[in-house]
Amino acid sequence: MFLLPWLIGFFGLTLGPTLASLYLSFTDYDLLTSPRWSGLENYEYAFFHDRRLGNALSVTFTYVLWSVPLKLTVALLLAMVLDRSVRGVAFYRATFYLPSLLGASVAIAVLWRQIFGAQGLVNQMLFLLTGMKGPAWVAHPDYALTTLIVLAIWQFGSPMIIFLAGLRQVPQDLYEAASMDGASGWRQFRKITLPLLAPVIFFNLVFQTIEAFKAFTQAYIVSGGQGGPVDSTLFYSLYLYEEAFANFRMGYASALAWLLLVIIAIFTAIAFATSKYWVYYEDEGR
Amino acid sequence: MTTTYSRRQFGGILGAALSATALSGTAAFAQAGAVRLIWWGNPERDKRTNAVVDLYQTKTGSTVSPETYAWGDYWQKLATQAAGKSLPDVIQMDYRYIFEYARRNQLAALDEFIGSELELADYDANQLASGVVDGKTYGISMGANSMSHVYNKTVLDGLGVTLPDSTSWTTDDWVAIGKDIKDKLPDGMYFSENMGILEPRLQTWVRSAGKDLYTPEGKIGYDLEDLVAYFEFWKMMQDEGLTPPADVQAQDSGKMEESMMATKQGVFNFLHSNQLVAMQNLVEDEIDMVMIPNSGPNAGQYMKPSMFLSMSETAADKAAAAQLMNFFITDPDANDILLIERGVTGDASIRERITPGLTETEQKIINYLDIVGTHVSPLPPPPPANAGEIDRALRPAWESVAFGQVDLEAAAKDFYENSIRSLERA
Repeated sequence: MFLLPWLIGFFGLTLGPTLASLYLSFTDYDLLTSPRWSGLENYEYAFFHDRRLGNALSVTFTYVLWSVPLKLTVALLLAMVLDRSVRGVAFYRATFYLPSLLGASVAIAVLWRQIFGAQGLVNQMLFLLTGMKGPAWVAHPDYALTTLIVLAIWQFGSPMIIFLAGLRQVPQDLYEAASMDGASGWRQFRKITLPLLAPVIFFNLVFQTIEAFKAFTQAYIVSGGQGGPVDSTLFYSLYLYEEAFANFRMGYASALAWLLLVIIAIFTAIAFATSKYWVYYEDEGR
Repeated sequence: MTTTYSRRQFGGILGAALSATALSGTAAFAQAGAVRLIWWGNPERDKRTNAVVDLYQTKTGSTVSPETYAWGDYWQKLATQAAGKSLPDVIQMDYRYIFEYARRNQLAALDEFIGSELELADYDANQLASGVVDGKTYGISMGANSMSHVYNKTVLDGLGVTLPDSTSWTTDDWVAIGKDIKDKLPDGMYFSENMGILEPRLQTWVRSAGKDLYTPEGKIGYDLEDLVAYFEFWKMMQDEGLTPPADVQAQDSGKMEESMMATKQGVFNFLHSNQLVAMQNLVEDEIDMVMIPNSGPNAGQYMKPSMFLSMSETAADKAAAAQLMNFFITDPDANDILLIERGVTGDASIRERITPGLTETEQKIINYLDIVGTHVSPLPPPPPANAGEIDRALRPAWESVAFGQVDLEAAAKDFYENSIRSLERA
């Protein structure tokens, strides 16, 4: 009974549209006329004929494979620094977290466009330091995706907070014992911190990977909604959006959405399958 | 983390929506009989349109509920509303989409209202004809429009350059002027923006060769060689330093404020004539318009309806909707506010009434269209269903050439073949 509001929300706003999109993925639907059943045509096109889809996948995989590990590394490093310094930690924590709050917003993406533009901050600094004139980073096919990866890394705040909480759970006496036995800092990190933090790393990895696959806002704004230049920032989600709302192929876009779901599910499954080799839970073996 | 936030926001939206429904229960009653009006625009157009809506409400005592979006969001919104069978009653429509919407039974034929609610006796017959689909009128043109080359007059005057008569100049003349002045231009300023990605510029190019983008049957209307020549021309312009390097040009995502002219990086820019006022607002220097130089023996330009007013097939009160449309098109007071922001009206008496009160920039538009009107070829057939996709695909195709990523002819061939495939997929 008390679940009713939640259930209505779930069935009306999540399950209903999800099933509808599954149906639409087997149709030809342009929004203006009623959907027409087309069987597996959409999936066939996606698998065998759609060349832009291949490009969108490669852009998205590049983005995920670079941004997630780098972001987690930066997050972990900063979490360890913050874990040690006691004075003013709340302030630094808030400061480092700030980009994550702002990063997904349109305003930051607009700012990014300015910073990495031809006359932007980055090029002005580059000119001051080296006397070289840099390109318009956001508008160059070789660098545009990199600026988006940098933007993603910069939003290390939420995994950092989670790492920090994880680090606080590591018993200090383990470090003390290790120091007495003469283990170096690096050895302590490898033998104590990493294993005990593994569940947290695992959680962050899965979560950030899913987030990265769904990246949309930044690419949409930075590339002016076109995934350019030369489709170099055409993320999967951006391509899906374009097919649905610019080319009015809602049926095909629904098929793309389901394929994305499958891809994310596969990646998550891989992460879970490998996790038993490197993630140790404290209550194991009891 | 984002998920948590979006869920929370979602709750907020849901709550707001619920309370809005609760409130609008009463509001909907009060608004029964309100005519819904939708348009795409810019701040200036929104201001003027809302003022006309207010005027209409005071004059007639009826209610209008207006909605407005930017061009990019507009067509998504409209398609979604059409899917939900909730299109607004009066719709600002574009030549690109009017056939699609009319043939899919989303628009109402207006013929029964012409002569009664719609008083169009004074209206230019050619302009009216542009809103006819399969023998019936589905849109009333809000004004005429044409493409142009807009240029920075202050800079050219400073260099002592006077342009030749643009009704007869060629791309060769244009390039020669560029080569003459390119070393005298201020640092960081180029002779022109690069128009390689601009589909309307490609259209004038192929029309000048006696062809068009599309045939009346909805097939590609030009040959691969035309496209190769077009790419070669703009590559030459870039290599000669007459247009900016590829990465500078690529910063222009299609917004006027990002254009080379507005960012003081180009003397010449492509522009539709009704946008001159908006562009002048962005530039300190004085700007003016000339016709686009032809690359072949035929006139590349044409006069086109800048936009239409159409009526939804599902409009509850069609007569009331027609009255609102008529107010926008023929009411003198309304047009004192609208002026020529949506293009130059085809209503002779209105045009006579508003011309003396126009600003200098607006007068330039009228003068320009007077010149263009005598040197154009007929309106092309409307683009086929997937033309929008092809338009967007021209950007990456040209940019891959501009950045030197692929061989020019291969890129052209790729784009050409993909265009054919897109049309087949429609």
